[in-house]
Amino acid sequence: MRTYLSTINNPWRLFDELLGDFPFEPLSAVWRGRGGQYPRVNVWEGEREVVVEAEVAGVDPEKMEVSVDANVLTLKGTKEVAGETAEFQRSFSLPFELDEEAVKAATKNGVLTVTIPRKAAPERRKIAIAKL
Amino acid sequence: MNMIPRQAPEARKETRVETAPLARVTENDEGYTLALELPGVDERDTELTIEHRTLTVTAENTVARHKDYALTLTEIPEVRYRATFELPERVDTAGIKAAQRNGLLVLSLPKREEVKPRRIAITSA
Repeated sequence: MRTYLSTINNPWRLFDELLGDFPFEPLSAVWRGRGGQYPRVNVWEGEREVVVEAEVAGVDPEKMEVSVDANVLTLKGTKEVAGETAEFQRSFSLPFELDEEAVKAATKNGVLTVTIPRKAAPERRKIAIAKL
Repeated sequence: MNMIPRQAPEARKETRVETAPLARVTENDEGYTLALELPGVDERDTELTIEHRTLTVTAENTVARHKDYALTLTEIPEVRYRATFELPERVDTAGIKAAQRNGLLVLSLPKREEVKPRRIAITSA
């Protein structure tokens, strides 16, 4: 079996490359594909929200965790392909304040979509200057 | 005179890059399991063909587009996954089954009865 399937890539290569990588990527300045990171993502920035789409083939939605701490979004999970499992984690620091309560996540065909609304900017308050 | 032929919309679709999906294979007594990673691929966009002993998988992923949003990080391209496997004689091609779930296409390739391991009873002479 090994010989005729020898042309196939090693799916775990990406996990090896993950080791030793700095856990946070600043999303503002370096929102570019860096390659070699798992999972691969597309990030869409809108006026009201940011949408993060991640390729997570072979990951049971039950074994996936999306968390938000301050302005750091973390995607975590366990991937299972043909009986072999591997854990992954990727974090992004978002360049804006986010509405933690309103973060939504959904999966379809092995793609995880996380919608992160921006926190509504507090209303501008004018401060009266008292004459002393 | 315009010498550059205008591309038909169908032709433009052909700009997808062709790539091999990540795959894993395991074997047990009953047969082989072949798992292919096809994230973002709908079952409808997966094509499985078997011709003699050549198994071909082609699939196209769907990358979501959001109008009025700026794409600030692009790591997921639109691709056509393609993989071809020469199946060994021991695979019973008629019994091949496929299932797609969570972006993973899992093929079970059963072995032909005559190649499955069997126990031989020892009779005392």
